[in-house]
Amino acid sequence: MLVPFSMKNCFQLLCNLKVPTAGFKNTVKSGLILQSISNDVYQNLAVEDWIHDHVNLEGKPVLFLWRNSPSVVIGRHQNPWQECNLNLMREEGIKLARRRSGGGTVYHDMGNINLTFFTTKKKYNRMENLKLVVRALNAIQPQLDVQATKRCDLLLDGQFKISGTASKIGRTTAYHHCTLLCSTNRTFLSSLLKSPYQGIKSNATASIPSVVKNLLEKDPTLTCEVLMNAIAAEYAAYHQIDNHINLINPTDETLFPGINNKAKELQTWEWIYGKTPKFSINTSFNVLYGQSYLEIKIVIDIKNGRIEICNIEAPDHWLPVEICDKLKAGFIGSKFCPIETTMLTSILHKTCPKDDELHSKWNILCEKIKGIM
Amino acid sequence: MALRAVRSMRSAACSLRAASAPAAPCLPRPWGLRAGAVRTLRTGSALLSVRKFTDKHEWITTENGIGTVGISNFAQEALGDVVYCSLPEVGTKLNKQEEFGALESVKAASELYSPLSGEVTEINEALAENPGLVNKSCYEDGKLSLELFQRIIATVNIPRF
Repeated sequence: MLVPFSMKNCFQLLCNLKVPTAGFKNTVKSGLILQSISNDVYQNLAVEDWIHDHVNLEGKPVLFLWRNSPSVVIGRHQNPWQECNLNLMREEGIKLARRRSGGGTVYHDMGNINLTFFTTKKKYNRMENLKLVVRALNAIQPQLDVQATKRCDLLLDGQFKISGTASKIGRTTAYHHCTLLCSTNRTFLSSLLKSPYQGIKSNATASIPSVVKNLLEKDPTLTCEVLMNAIAAEYAAYHQIDNHINLINPTDETLFPGINNKAKELQTWEWIYGKTPKFSINTSFNVLYGQSYLEIKIVIDIKNGRIEICNIEAPDHWLPVEICDKLKAGFIGSKFCPIETTMLTSILHKTCPKDDELHSKWNILCEKIKGIM
Repeated sequence: MALRAVRSMRSAACSLRAASAPAAPCLPRPWGLRAGAVRTLRTGSALLSVRKFTDKHEWITTENGIGTVGISNFAQEALGDVVYCSLPEVGTKLNKQEEFGALESVKAASELYSPLSGEVTEINEALAENPGLVNKSCYEDGKLSLELFQRIIATVNIPRF
């Protein structure tokens, strides 16, 4: 049952969650089921942060249901250049988010359900949560063959991944979240999660690609709404709480003081790109010169998303060394970002003598470099 | 738990490291390890250090105002194989109990909390290439970082396991 979350209800519920259980004798199990009315990945991730930081989960676990408009979400210690096609994402207007939990890269759209299980650190148990999801699925479709693997994936028919897991463990609280593929655009997913970038050397945690399938393809009755209700019902039964899904607005500062700042932080360049572990790119590209191609080699070291070392090896007869050095020097310290590179190029143009041929070569080089960003 | 962990180390006595000598030879502790040794509080300017644990399973040894931080054997076992260590930059100033990094293992990011206040003077660079050292040698090669403390804190909470 969906219950619009009035301010009064919510305030009471969240206050109750903050009161330590030692304050009153409570032999009845307790808990809460929340569902976001927002499809913004940053706002929804901010809800997770907020609950993790502010809610006392002792004896009162929380289930949070959320869906996002098309977004790619990378794990905390991952490299987006290694994990997805950033060029394609920019063209298609797909958002990129970095979450605070570990794990690999996933694609979210409205055909994917996200489930977050909040507990105290002591009660953190991912397999228990996944078993709950499997029970919920089998309750609506007993014939469905869904199993949890040792790596906390859910597999359909023993071969198709329908859910991936990640978690964050804090001082006293923890959360385990997972996806559930219901009716996601699989073709789009495959093209977005394929990185075209060559020559990357990195210690970042790498994703393990899997063949995926949607539950709706298996059984047309398994829509997102049906699945969310089934999981909520199973959670309510397991924790002996009312089967009420409480709708929440993640932008409501009266319910979640400080949440908009959390959402803002998740959208900063410093968090999304700047948190990428140090990596290097060693690659080359060809430029047309007369009747043949010249090979330009490029080696870049990137730390905190910024270019730390930059080496461009271009044949001297094509681009004089001094000019090449000027370009290299310009890159040092700037963001590894196509927008910043465009700005850099126009600044350099102004500082250089008016030479159309040189400017055109410079543009070609910069376009190629932007192509690897 | 902590006491058993300490005994199981190959070079259990070695915990003294100066900031400028990254590979100092191991020195034996002058006192034997017996039940209750970990619970002894050393106050004042400790020239010889004992490994102190927080209740969140980070350990710290201090010498002349410089501390070395790591996670306990109990913690590394609970985590599973560490695949990534996220540590602060040298120069970062930390407050006691402030989150300073994270360890990733089996898709879980576990936050790390600073046992004391101070400034990071060195981090264990080997962990970038080889995060598994935290599992293999959490008290030696897999220690996390060195910190310089501007004040020596006299007492530290000793854990109950």
